[in-house]
Amino acid sequence: MMYNNEHFEPVITPNVQRPGCETLDFYITNENGYKGLEKALKMKPAEVIDEVKKSNLRGRGGAGFPTGMKWSFMPANPVDANGNLKPKYLVCNADEGEPGTFKDRLIFTKTPHRMIEGMIIAGHAIASNKGFIYVRGEWFKETRLMQKAIDDAYAKGFLGKNILGSGFDFDLVVYKGAGAYICGEETALLNSLEGKRGEPRLKPPFPAQVGAYGMPSCVNNVETFAAVPYILVKGWEKYAKMGTERSGGTRLIGVSGHVNRPAVYELPMNLSINDIIEIAGGVKGGKLKAVIPGGASAPMLRADECTVLTDYDSLAKAGTMAGSGGVIVLNDTVNIVEATYTLLKFYEHESCGQCSQCREGSHWLARMFKRILDGGGTQDDLDYIAKICGNMAGQTICAFADAVTGPALSSVRKFREEFEELIHKGGLLGMGRQESVSHKLVGAHV
Amino acid sequence: MSNNLEIEIKKPKLDLNYTSDKKPVHSDANPDVKPLPKVTIDGKTYEFRPGDTIMQVAERMKVHEEIPRYCYHPGMPIAGTCRMCTVEVEKAPKLMTSCSTPAADGMVVHTRSEKVLKSRTGVMDFLLTNHPLDCPVCDKAGECDLQDYNFEYGPSKSNFKEEKRVYVDATTKKLSDKITLNMNRCVHCERCVRFTDDVTKTNDLVMVNRGWHKELEATDPEKGLTNDYQGCLTDFCPVGALTMNDFRFKKRSWFLTKKASVCDRCSKGCNIEVHSDADIVYRYIPIFNEMVNGHWMCDEGRTSYNDFMNPMRVIAPLMKHEGEFHATSFETLLTDIKKHVREASSVELVVGTDATREEAALLKDKVPALFGKSMNVSYHNGFISSLAEDKKLDHMLRMTDKTPNTRGVEEQGLLALKNGEVTSDVVIFFRNGRAGIPKMKANQKVILWGVWTIDEVKNFPSQNVLAVIPGLATIEKAGSYKNADGIVQKFHPAITHRGSALSAHQVADVLKSLN
Repeated sequence: MMYNNEHFEPVITPNVQRPGCETLDFYITNENGYKGLEKALKMKPAEVIDEVKKSNLRGRGGAGFPTGMKWSFMPANPVDANGNLKPKYLVCNADEGEPGTFKDRLIFTKTPHRMIEGMIIAGHAIASNKGFIYVRGEWFKETRLMQKAIDDAYAKGFLGKNILGSGFDFDLVVYKGAGAYICGEETALLNSLEGKRGEPRLKPPFPAQVGAYGMPSCVNNVETFAAVPYILVKGWEKYAKMGTERSGGTRLIGVSGHVNRPAVYELPMNLSINDIIEIAGGVKGGKLKAVIPGGASAPMLRADECTVLTDYDSLAKAGTMAGSGGVIVLNDTVNIVEATYTLLKFYEHESCGQCSQCREGSHWLARMFKRILDGGGTQDDLDYIAKICGNMAGQTICAFADAVTGPALSSVRKFREEFEELIHKGGLLGMGRQESVSHKLVGAHV
Repeated sequence: MSNNLEIEIKKPKLDLNYTSDKKPVHSDANPDVKPLPKVTIDGKTYEFRPGDTIMQVAERMKVHEEIPRYCYHPGMPIAGTCRMCTVEVEKAPKLMTSCSTPAADGMVVHTRSEKVLKSRTGVMDFLLTNHPLDCPVCDKAGECDLQDYNFEYGPSKSNFKEEKRVYVDATTKKLSDKITLNMNRCVHCERCVRFTDDVTKTNDLVMVNRGWHKELEATDPEKGLTNDYQGCLTDFCPVGALTMNDFRFKKRSWFLTKKASVCDRCSKGCNIEVHSDADIVYRYIPIFNEMVNGHWMCDEGRTSYNDFMNPMRVIAPLMKHEGEFHATSFETLLTDIKKHVREASSVELVVGTDATREEAALLKDKVPALFGKSMNVSYHNGFISSLAEDKKLDHMLRMTDKTPNTRGVEEQGLLALKNGEVTSDVVIFFRNGRAGIPKMKANQKVILWGVWTIDEVKNFPSQNVLAVIPGLATIEKAGSYKNADGIVQKFHPAITHRGSALSAHQVADVLKSLN
């Protein structure tokens, strides 16, 4: 292995290949299970937050916001208009829906107690007594496993009243979403959790002020919570050392696409994309053409750009993002226009439809790519794609519009010659534009 | 609230209502606290009330051009989704939606910078991609925000070469017997959804599906819309998606003459704008008045112009001769009535509570003398027996008392008709189409005055109507009403009466000339 990082050791996945690793007994006997919680409960909440702050743990959901800082934003004693103390809520974002990302599912199925322990510690740190786990709607088995793990933890006294004799109470509730990608956005998740339409909220107010059910809430990713017990047990220094200067620890990288061993790998952040591809067994069935480094929303990288390191800042510098850690590798058999169209179809379907730009723009882009694939494209279209993306990015309530423009814009910028070839050739089949039946729909303008 | 407060009805182009529960503007804002924070908008500095959003500051100051908006409505919670109202705030990395961004002390805002205009052009470009180009047959044309903002901000041409989205089943869909939906024209601002959620609180409408499939539907498709304020949906729908069946395809909006008046359908006295062409009224729409009706009005009031535009309304003096009514002149009619009145042993003058304050004063003080006969003058309401019974029918506007001026008539010193029953031989009953009809004995002689339809005259309880003196409806005359909250509202004629009816004062003049 070419980790070339002497401090590295797996934080979340040391035992995931061993049978029975998802059970509470295994977690306690082999993985220092709930030792971090024991230690945290003896500390003051502020000290726990400080520990996490110093570990440089950054949110693993996609935006990479420093976790300790997020926790410290939670108000200490929030009161409502009548002066009554408001409850605070901790929410786990397990709505893993980003195409190409499948790391959280590994935690749910293989080491759920690590995440539960992380949540209890976080609950102690922000003085919250209730946690919600918002699970992606399609995760039937995972929800069942998580519920079982929670039941086990309740039976052992890690959850419920007076945890480990410390006087701290914490309850966990599993809530299954209805299967919308947008509910992975934290405020849309909160809306969905409350039973409303899964649409992102206007910010401010931020969830730390007005979150779930109008109460101060803290939303974190599954992997973020799963990293917390290690920080408490082994100390922040060890965790911080594994990472880069501004971002501590390891990351779960889900490698998929044209590689020989597609899987979730736990890796340090000082690796380049090329290293990751090598770890995943190298490119399969051809030469490397493009890599999407952080889930579908991250702008693509050309093969020659794959020397970039995979920490948050280096990727941001390269014009893309670390995102949710889903590396999609494309070899040279792939037509980039077609691949991008596949992604855009997904976004077209998943836009919540609140903001004008995103609702109409994602639809427009997908239709445009389809037309180019069908042979109806013109040279002007390429400029117009850039213009549409320019009108979408950064103009909407949430980052969905930016996510749409990520693949669309980067594919046109970096693989323009492929688009031009399709335009000149007359589509994938080279037959020019085929009139579709629906074109003749009567009443389209009424 | 002062009882003598008089409001001149005029239409403010922009004003604010503070019913939004997301941004309670008034909550801790105290305009007396000095110094007030200052914000700079387009190079000019304004003081503002703490808590106002940029849009609200700009509107309250009324100092520069309107910030375009689709989803923002001052009477509803803020959504911030149409992204049309974005402005540039110095030191902010992105454009901010002015509807939702609270103004801060020292903030510098540009509402028409190059970046802002480019963004608005972008929004227009997106909204127009799927909007049908059917303005010539669209009922909203001429008063459509999409048209107006496209003229001002839109791109000169679109590069959209794809098929337009078509909601086949919702091209003409009846949401209720009052409202028709054309989903293809919808720009998804969701004002209508928020209106039924937060204003009427009936939750009648929902958006189903996501993204570009998003479609407006009645929450219960079988019931459709259930609230009593459905007409408001068409007022604030920025496009021709929601149209009112009562007005749909009756008149192009640019032919309409718009004059302010007061609705007389109940004691609330909502401020309205009468839209007419050639003195034929086509619709009422509400005018914002924070103290009376906010932005809204009920459907009952909105369609009440139909009573005055009724082709069966009596608009010429009618006299009964040999069992049939014949049109005649006011002089002949009033001479005849005078004869009846003088011959009678007892005469009562009953004033409906839909008379204006001025009419009530005239009827009480002058009319008996003009007839040369002492009369017992009283008022009759027909809906409530005392003012205490005038209650709100819902949390918004509708009232039990379906006449506009019970308080105003009472103020003139009139007493209610005893037991709602007429006892004299001859009755002169003045009513403008709203008040109830008192109990009558068979064959009591009746002279009707005011706004009547021929059916009402023929089916009058006593079956013995001698004559009808046609009068003017609220929208045709000047006067004032005192509403349920004790506010006196003056109004001027919104249209000219097209028949030969005369106002009460004119009839009094004719009576005088006869003496």
